[in-house]
Amino acid sequence: MKKNVVFWVGVKNEKYSEKYGGWDWMDIARKTWEYWCKKHDVIFFPFEKPIENDLTRFRINWQKAIFCFDILDDAGIDYDQIYLVDGMNMIKWDAPNVFEMTDNKFTAWRDTDNLNWTHKSIVGYNDFFGGYEFDKQKYFSSGLIIFNEQHKEVFQSFKKLYCDNVDKFVELQDKTVRKGTEQTPLNYHLQMNGVDINLDLPFSYKLTHIHRKDMFHYNWQLEEDKTPFFIKYGHVWGFSGLPKDQRTEVMNYAWQLVKDNYDENHILNRLVHKDEWCKTTSRKFKEDILRIFSDSKNLNCLEIGSCRGDSTRVFAECFNKVYAFEQSDENLEYVKEKCSDVDNVEYNQSDVYKNFEIPNGIDVVFVDAGHSTDLVKYDIKRFLEKNPKMILIFDDYGQADQSIKKAIEDSSLPISRHIGEYNGFTCTNLSGKEITFVTREGVICNL
Amino acid sequence: MKNIVFIVDITLKGSQREVGRWAETRSDPYVFCTKAWQKWCDKNDCELFVLDEEVLPHSQMPVSWQRYYVFDLLEANGIEYDQIMYVDADTIPHPDCPNVFEMSDRKFCFVHNEGSYDWILRSIENYSKYFFDGYMIPWTDYFDSGMLIFNKEHKDFFQKILEFFHINRENLLGAESKWHAGTDQTPVNFLTHILDVDYKRLPYEYNMCDMVRKELLTDDLLFTKWGWIYQYNSIPNNKDDKLTFYWMEKTYKHLWEN
Repeated sequence: MKKNVVFWVGVKNEKYSEKYGGWDWMDIARKTWEYWCKKHDVIFFPFEKPIENDLTRFRINWQKAIFCFDILDDAGIDYDQIYLVDGMNMIKWDAPNVFEMTDNKFTAWRDTDNLNWTHKSIVGYNDFFGGYEFDKQKYFSSGLIIFNEQHKEVFQSFKKLYCDNVDKFVELQDKTVRKGTEQTPLNYHLQMNGVDINLDLPFSYKLTHIHRKDMFHYNWQLEEDKTPFFIKYGHVWGFSGLPKDQRTEVMNYAWQLVKDNYDENHILNRLVHKDEWCKTTSRKFKEDILRIFSDSKNLNCLEIGSCRGDSTRVFAECFNKVYAFEQSDENLEYVKEKCSDVDNVEYNQSDVYKNFEIPNGIDVVFVDAGHSTDLVKYDIKRFLEKNPKMILIFDDYGQADQSIKKAIEDSSLPISRHIGEYNGFTCTNLSGKEITFVTREGVICNL
Repeated sequence: MKNIVFIVDITLKGSQREVGRWAETRSDPYVFCTKAWQKWCDKNDCELFVLDEEVLPHSQMPVSWQRYYVFDLLEANGIEYDQIMYVDADTIPHPDCPNVFEMSDRKFCFVHNEGSYDWILRSIENYSKYFFDGYMIPWTDYFDSGMLIFNKEHKDFFQKILEFFHINRENLLGAESKWHAGTDQTPVNFLTHILDVDYKRLPYEYNMCDMVRKELLTDDLLFTKWGWIYQYNSIPNNKDDKLTFYWMEKTYKHLWEN
């Protein structure tokens, strides 16, 4: 059965080890792609041994392009789409399945980082390509491209073009133009052969030259989240355009910030999230809770509406003690199972709108029981009467009927943080209907 | 009915610190903008409309917000119009710049702002939190409001932008001076999505902002070989906007006087 393939370029050429500051960065990048491939049932295919050993005449960048189909065929891979990925790219743990967005076209991303370089490269190769009037607005980066069997022929003709002109290309590459390897020739070749190229996917899937984009920073004005912008908003992080010998240092810095997410035992990888089960919170919501309350082991938390315990387990990670209240016996058994590896959760089967007493010493409440405006207003009122400084966390703030939002507004409760998924996030409710959030999934008040 | 190119070129008395980009020192080079666009309009059978007086005193409404009165201004001046292209006064078109009105599909058109995403994302996050209740926009479609194409169908949209300003005036002015993360641009980006305005994104070549970052602003005027509309913003060490003047004058002479 055909499968999508990530053809990952990870040849470690010892000759250039010093120039590249070692090859540890490749091992870092590889881990992210292996994780992502497993998650999306994609074949991870590392290209680690060159086909041609003369790496001066056959640079790895040329080999990946001209031999990709041969290598996969020789390995007996029954490929559907092929995602050719340079080793300097890391993929975010929750990046969507990009194969589903290609419309089965040759898919790439415009390269607009250093247009001076690009211009000189295009001009430099123009004579070789017979003065072809190249459309610069379609110039793409070859470090991340997706294609399929229908492109085999054009890649094979590209191989022939190279093999017939190796000496000329090496001269252009190393002496005359000195602007890139196979990227510009590939651009010319595909354009001259009329390949329909999909350049419409957001560039968050090719976040190169991160320093040039000022995306190593975080929002130092709000000071709410120190996650660097490239991690927060990018899907694929390309560590290009920076001094090559610094690549390991920079990629290791990124890896230290994100590595837990690629660990199958990481708490967020063991829990169910809203995209699978609408009654819980999203992974993003849980990530935000873990980050915001990372230093809150002195606080006690009350959760009303524990449902199946996926959020409860996160609260148990953050707080000293969690008082979990759930109406359904069946659900409560789930909660106990989810939290079986911790001992700071007290389980209570109760209807929180009947015979319920707020425990003493509560600092934080996750308000997730009744969702009508009146019930939420009632919750807000009783918790703040108990302790006006109580921190209140709300789920489903962004749901279309705005019942939670209205309760918060009617209670004149100022919002401290918006958390969780963004407007446009969809999940399926219990009756099978798709629901779409109109603003952020959750909020925290009184923080 | 002609297509209109609309430019706001108002000079205010006071220092840049007091009146921002409209200070006398900053607006000196804008003459190259209006001259170049006039010639482009002549070539493309369009009409140039320059706003050189405040609609409201800038103490009431910063000049950058006043562009959204464009429909009222055109109608008050008895100018018939089809489509309108607003361009910032620090732009210059290439003489061969294609007629962008023909690319609009009659949608609200803009160019993504490729620049410092530290600035862009801070601006988006800050306005999201304090003005739009956590609503988020697709950041890869964030646009520079220095080049916009629109038509009569967007009159209501512009009216809503103005209403938004007047309702939130105090907070907007406070945010502007506190964050230095833009004036109208980010709120208008949000309103475009919140009001579900059908838009079309044009390529970078049609509003080439932050050209230093792209390594295009070079003495051989490489940018003139790359694209069509040049915006001379985000130039480092640009004391008293002398570099803006230098580049705009040099571009104008190279492209339009030769």
